[in-house]
Amino acid sequence: MQATDRTRLRTQAVRRVSIVTTASSDTPTKKILMMGGTRFIGVYLARLLVKAGHEVTLFTRGKTPVTQKIASETDQEYAEYSSKVKHIQGDRQDFDGMKSKIASAGFEIVYDINGREAVEVEPIIDAIPSLKQYIYCSSAGVYLKSDLLPHFEVDATDPKSRHKGKLDTEALLQSKGVPWTSIRPVYIYGPLNYNPVEEWFFHRLKAGRPIPIPNSGLQITQLGHVKDLADAFVRVLDNPTAFGQVYNISGAKYVTFAGIARACAKAGGFPTPELVHYNPKDFDFGKKKSFPLRDQHFFTSIEKAKNDLGWSPKYGLVDGLTDSYNLDFGLGTFRKAADFSTDDMILEKLGIKVAVPA
Amino acid sequence: MALSLQFPVSTPRQASLEISKLTPGYIASSFSLQSPSTSSLHSLGTSSSIAMAVKKSSRRWRAAKTVAMAAAANEVSNRKVLIVNTNSGGHAVIGFWLAKDLVAAGHEVTVMTVGEESSDKMKKPPFSRFSELRDLGVSTVWGDPKDVGAAVGGKSFHAVLDNNGKDLDAVKPVVDWAKSQGVEQFLFISSAGIYKTSDEPPHLEGDPVKADAGHVGVEDYISKLAFKFCSSFRPQYMTGSGNNKDCEEWFFDRIVRDKPVPIPSPGIRVTNIAHVSDLSSMITLAIGKPSASNATIFNAVSDHAVTFDGLVRLCARAAAKEAKIVHYDAKALGIDAKKAFPFRNMHFYAEPRAAKEKLGWTSSINLSEALKERYEEYIKIGRDKKDIKFEIDDTILSKVG
Repeated sequence: MQATDRTRLRTQAVRRVSIVTTASSDTPTKKILMMGGTRFIGVYLARLLVKAGHEVTLFTRGKTPVTQKIASETDQEYAEYSSKVKHIQGDRQDFDGMKSKIASAGFEIVYDINGREAVEVEPIIDAIPSLKQYIYCSSAGVYLKSDLLPHFEVDATDPKSRHKGKLDTEALLQSKGVPWTSIRPVYIYGPLNYNPVEEWFFHRLKAGRPIPIPNSGLQITQLGHVKDLADAFVRVLDNPTAFGQVYNISGAKYVTFAGIARACAKAGGFPTPELVHYNPKDFDFGKKKSFPLRDQHFFTSIEKAKNDLGWSPKYGLVDGLTDSYNLDFGLGTFRKAADFSTDDMILEKLGIKVAVPA
Repeated sequence: MALSLQFPVSTPRQASLEISKLTPGYIASSFSLQSPSTSSLHSLGTSSSIAMAVKKSSRRWRAAKTVAMAAAANEVSNRKVLIVNTNSGGHAVIGFWLAKDLVAAGHEVTVMTVGEESSDKMKKPPFSRFSELRDLGVSTVWGDPKDVGAAVGGKSFHAVLDNNGKDLDAVKPVVDWAKSQGVEQFLFISSAGIYKTSDEPPHLEGDPVKADAGHVGVEDYISKLAFKFCSSFRPQYMTGSGNNKDCEEWFFDRIVRDKPVPIPSPGIRVTNIAHVSDLSSMITLAIGKPSASNATIFNAVSDHAVTFDGLVRLCARAAAKEAKIVHYDAKALGIDAKKAFPFRNMHFYAEPRAAKEKLGWTSSINLSEALKERYEEYIKIGRDKKDIKFEIDDTILSKVG
C-alpha cells in the first residue's frame, strides 16, 4: 500500500475517533446479516450467534441447503437452530439485486464470511444505513513474506498476493467510516472443512500410503480449529475494542509439515506414517496440487486477539484434529475423493513401491 | 574507545498500552503502520518515510514516559541486587547489561565474577569494560561461588541472580548461601536448550524439558527451597555490545570478505537471536515486580524467529553487501555441524510469552536494527581487517564442488 494511502487512512481514522468511541450497544441482541453461513465457518458461527439470542439471516445463493444437521449436535439442537435462523436467497455478485434484498431489514451487524473483493463489500455497506459493525473474514495470506516470523498484525502486507482482494477490502472498510473488524485466519481445519487440509492426510493414512512431503518437511505453519475461529468472531461482535482492528486468529502453537502428518495419524489412531520427501521442482504436476499447503514458513502471532478479546484457542493440534476426525472423516464423510495421482508420480520417480491392500 | 551503549529502561506494556489508546494514532496504527504499543519494527519491506516517522516519534514519546511508567508499575524499588556472573561464554554479557539496567531502575548492584580479577579471561569483553560499571556505582568483586559470602564481604541482598552455573554442582553453593542469608528473591539464568524437541514450535514455558539436563536440576532445586520469590530465565542466543562469544560475527566474517556462507541444509531451520538489552529489560522488570515474576519460568528470547538463510540476508543487508549462500548436507559430507556452524543444526525456537503476559515486557530492538548496530561495531573495532582462516568452510566448499 502506498505511503499516501497510509497517510490518508490514518488521517481519516484520526478524524473518526469520536464516531468510533460513541458507537455502543443499545440492545443486547442484534439483527445480523451473514454473507455465507452454509459451508464451514458460518455453520458454527451462525449457531453460536443464534444460541446467544441474536437474529441471524444467512445470505446465500441457495445451492447448499440453508441448514443441515451436523454430527456434533442433537436433533433438538438442530431443530432449534434451523427454526430460528433466517435466509435471504440471492447472488452477492448481483450488486443491485443484493442491495434491494438486504436494504430494509434493519440489519445492525454484517458478518462477511465469503467476500473476496472490495467491490462486493461496498454495496452492502451502502445498502444498510443502520449498520453498526462490519465484520470481515480476511486472510493471513495478505502478509508479505518475511525472514522474521511470526507475522504480527502490524507487519507489511503484500499488494501482489493472491489475497489482494482481502487487502483491498480491508482498505475499503477503513475508508467507509463504519466500524469494522477484520479477522485473518491462517489454515483453518475442523469437521466439514472444504479445503482438503486434514482430509488430504487422512486419505493417505487410511489407505496406508506413504505421505509425500515437499522438501525437508521442516516448513513451519499454523492450523486453527474452526470452532476457535467462530469463538473469536463472536467476541468481536459489538466490541468497541475491536473497531478498526485486524486480528490474526489461529492455533496457540505452530507445526512443521512433518508434524502435521504425525498429528493426523495420532488423531485418527493410525500408525506413525512413512514420510517421503521430494523436490517439487523435479516434477511437473500440471494443474494438480501435490500438497495442500504453501511450501514456505507461514505462521502468525495471536497475542493481539488474546490481549484485546480475552480469546484463546481451546483446541490443541492433536485434540483438534481428533475432533475433526471423529465428526467428519472418521464417520466416512469428506469433500474431495482421494486422488493419489501426484503421489504415484512422486513415488515412481523415487523408486518407492506402495504395498496397498487390495 | 568508548562505545555508546543503549540500555533502554524497560517499558511496562500495560502502562504504555493504556496511554497509547488515548492517542488517535492507535486506531489507525493497527492497520498497517506501527502501533505505539509494540516497539520493534516488524516490516522489512521498503519503509516509507511516513512509517519511519511514526515509529521514531512513538519511540521518543515512549522513552520520555518510560522511567515514570516503570517506577509506577513496579512493586518494589531500591533493591540490593547481587549478580553472580560467569567469566566466559555467551551468557557473560547478560550480567554486564543487567547491572546497568538495574542501576538505571534505581537499584544498588554488586557484580561478583567467578574467578580472579587478574585472570586472562578478564581481558576479554565484557569484563574488560567493567570500569563502565564502576563509574555507575556498581560494586565489582571476584570470588568463588562456593564462598559467595567472602567475595561480597558479608553484604546482604534482597535479590540474587545466578548467571554462572549450568548444573547443581555449580549453583547449589550460591543458592544455599542465598537461602541462609534470607535473600528474598532468587533468579537463575537457565537455558532454552533444555526443552525437548517437538513437532510444534515454539518452545513455551511449561513445555516438557529434558529431565537429565543440568539446568533442570537447578530449576527444580531452587523451586523447592521456598524463597519468597524465585524465577528462572531461559535464553537462546544473544547479540549485543560486550558479547564474550561470537554470534553474528561468524556471518560478518564471511560477508565482508566476499566469502560464500556455508549453511547446513535446509536453510529454513529457525532460531532465535535476541539483543541482550531485551533480556536485561526482562530481568529488570522481574526484579522490580517480584510477585508478578514469582514462581515463573521466562523464555528470555526475542519475539521473532529467523531462518538460517534469513540471518545471512539480514547480516548482508546490515553490511550493505551481497552474500552467497552455499547449502550443504552436513551428515552426507561427514561435517561436524557443531564445529562448522554457530547455531544448533535443528529448529530451535522459543517465544517470550510469559514475559509479555506477566511482566508487560515488550521487545525494544528487533534483529534488523540489532545487526546494523553490531555491524557498525564490527567495523569500528577493525575485525573486518583481521586475518581469519576458514578451514572448515574450505573443506565444505571443496566437498560441495
